[in-house]
Amino acid sequence: MSAPEVHHLFHNPIADHSFSADRQTLAIARDTTVELYGRVGNAFKLKDELKGHDKTVTSIDIAPNSGRIVTCSQDRNALVWEPTPQGYKPTLVLLRINRAATFVRWSPNETKFAVGSGDRLIAICYFEEENDWWVSKHLKKPIRSTITTVGWHPNSVLLAAGSTDAHARVLSSFIKGVDARPEPTAWGERLPFNTICGEYLNNSAGWIHSVAFSPSGDALAFAAHDSSITVVYPSAPEQPPKAVISINTQLLPFMSLIWNGEAEIIAAGYDCEAFRFKGGINGWQLSGTVEAKSRPGLSEEREESALNMFKQMDLKGKVKDNTQLKTIHQNTITTLRPYETSGDAVTKFSSSGVDGRIVIWNV
Amino acid sequence: MSQSLRPYLQAVRSSLTAALCLSNFASQTAERHNVPEVEARTSPEVLLTPLTIARNENERVLIEPSINSIRISIKIKQADEIEHILVHKFTRFLTQRAESFFILRRKPIKGYDISFLITNFHTEEMLKNKLVDFIIEFMEEVDKEISEMKLFLNARARFVAESFLTPFD
Amino acid sequence: MSIIQQITADDLTDNWRRINIDALDPDSSLNFPTSSLHPPQPEISESDCRNLSSAVRQLLRGGDAEGALRTCLENPVYNGPDGVKEQHLGTVVEVLQSIKASEMSPLLKRVYEGEGGVELLDCLMKYLYKGMGSPGAGSGGVKVMTPQTTGFSQIGGGRNISSGDSTGSAMSVLLSWHEKVVEVAGLGCIGRVMTDFRRV
Repeated sequence: MSAPEVHHLFHNPIADHSFSADRQTLAIARDTTVELYGRVGNAFKLKDELKGHDKTVTSIDIAPNSGRIVTCSQDRNALVWEPTPQGYKPTLVLLRINRAATFVRWSPNETKFAVGSGDRLIAICYFEEENDWWVSKHLKKPIRSTITTVGWHPNSVLLAAGSTDAHARVLSSFIKGVDARPEPTAWGERLPFNTICGEYLNNSAGWIHSVAFSPSGDALAFAAHDSSITVVYPSAPEQPPKAVISINTQLLPFMSLIWNGEAEIIAAGYDCEAFRFKGGINGWQLSGTVEAKSRPGLSEEREESALNMFKQMDLKGKVKDNTQLKTIHQNTITTLRPYETSGDAVTKFSSSGVDGRIVIWNV
Repeated sequence: MSQSLRPYLQAVRSSLTAALCLSNFASQTAERHNVPEVEARTSPEVLLTPLTIARNENERVLIEPSINSIRISIKIKQADEIEHILVHKFTRFLTQRAESFFILRRKPIKGYDISFLITNFHTEEMLKNKLVDFIIEFMEEVDKEISEMKLFLNARARFVAESFLTPFD
Repeated sequence: MSIIQQITADDLTDNWRRINIDALDPDSSLNFPTSSLHPPQPEISESDCRNLSSAVRQLLRGGDAEGALRTCLENPVYNGPDGVKEQHLGTVVEVLQSIKASEMSPLLKRVYEGEGGVELLDCLMKYLYKGMGSPGAGSGGVKVMTPQTTGFSQIGGGRNISSGDSTGSAMSVLLSWHEKVVEVAGLGCIGRVMTDFRRV
């Protein structure tokens, strides 16, 4: 396993990142601007800056086929950036929300995107040809608090959403005229807009930080602030799920998770490193970290006098005085994304964090 | 004394580390605002259970966590009247200079001597483990400082008394 | 003159300028139903709690500290009057105080690895924090309300210190348990105490 590729871009938090399909362009949400980096050899060089938001940009997503970039921000707006020969041209989306937009993702077929917001709703946005305008429909009903994350089902109709009311939900975002009638799945058969196909709550009720459907779409995983990962296997429409497996870990909460095939989940968060979970419908468990701990240079411990050591233990309640964390990321990891895939399996994934680093990991 | 100080600080350290998991969270109540939820208290679901860590009745720490900020309040040991006055003066000195302290709150929570307010912007700028270290170091230094000041005050009082009483020798 | 005075007096009594009108809107985020954050919990009455605590004492007398601790933690009082909650806290603290320091770690490991162990230790952690939060309940079931010293008289100060010592020893038991629980169940355990709206 070769060493991960580390790019330290700046000393500001990266709220979200996204690679283009050819992996030559990297878009990053940095404070109120969006920065586009191009790959030059082994490094990423700043290529372009997209300015259009006047508050913190919270999320960004590049559609792999069309190359359109969608961004959203705490200024209540979402913008679609259309690539043109003269550069990127922004179009404002008619979101009709009154609070911060928190999270945005393109649907897999790229005709729609979902914007989560602090207005306690999800705006499903689609392009209306006759008006030449991005318009939205609101998913509102059972949501009681800020949406923190959304995740699309491969059929582009079902949408999973997590919010600070500690519930992960599966909802239908079917829009007549845009979507073809989807094949029935274990989540539901008839799916008019705003059908609730599932609602899940953890025992210890943490805010949901991340949701993801498995590659087949037949399982849903979510990470919550109670340091847990929960995997839900639905049985049939309107029936209780076949299995809901919760793993409460000893670690700090996870901020983001991705599936690697159907039997592995990679999650990372406040522990500043990525962890693997392995399992299936019969049970899941934490199987270890992605990062190899025996990297040279960092593992050697400083020689310390016994007196100093006891003093540390006695006065500060800790053993070592260390400024640098042993992990590559020096602060919370906020986003994980698949970087290179073969079939359903992820061969490389990228992570970005509050420390301004982008790391590309080999699985 | 240090024997029982260690588990106390250890408990504060682990609780703080667990509580300092903050993220950027815009207000649900006021549009285009981003305020520390632990102070605004407008959304009950983003406020977590407050934790108290106590060494005895007179020394305790209260941690009030929320989604984008935490408030840490410390009650400093005060065994007698002199220590009470010294703690009062000392914390007053610090809180009046709060702007150069970043995480210090201008006013302590009721029942405590000094409060800190850490938001997600602080944890983004500064290393989390260093912030925790700072609080721990503050807690041990303040005890030391107060007892040193008390000793100094007593010594001074003795000296003053001696020099006043010499004429009567 | 008199009219103006009347109005200002009204201002002060009614305080209508200070009414938070957002709170009157049922859809406001201020009125978030926190009860939706956990499944409904059975209400536990005082007699249930008394039966439980005598069962726990029975186990303790029989030398089964682990069983006693398990019984306590499997039946936490999430829904009940404050008095019952305090009473149960007293029972838990009593069990904790009866376990020797050398037995803590192996016992906790056994509980953690057993069925539902994570949940049990989360619950124990809740009681540890609650115990530290309420100084009265620190000394083994019997509530000793220490007199609050008001002035700064020498006598008052002296009394305060002595009572501080007795609660201090109770706290140090809780603190050493805290340390051991973190060793076994990690920081995630503290995180779950914070996120859980089922409060003890």
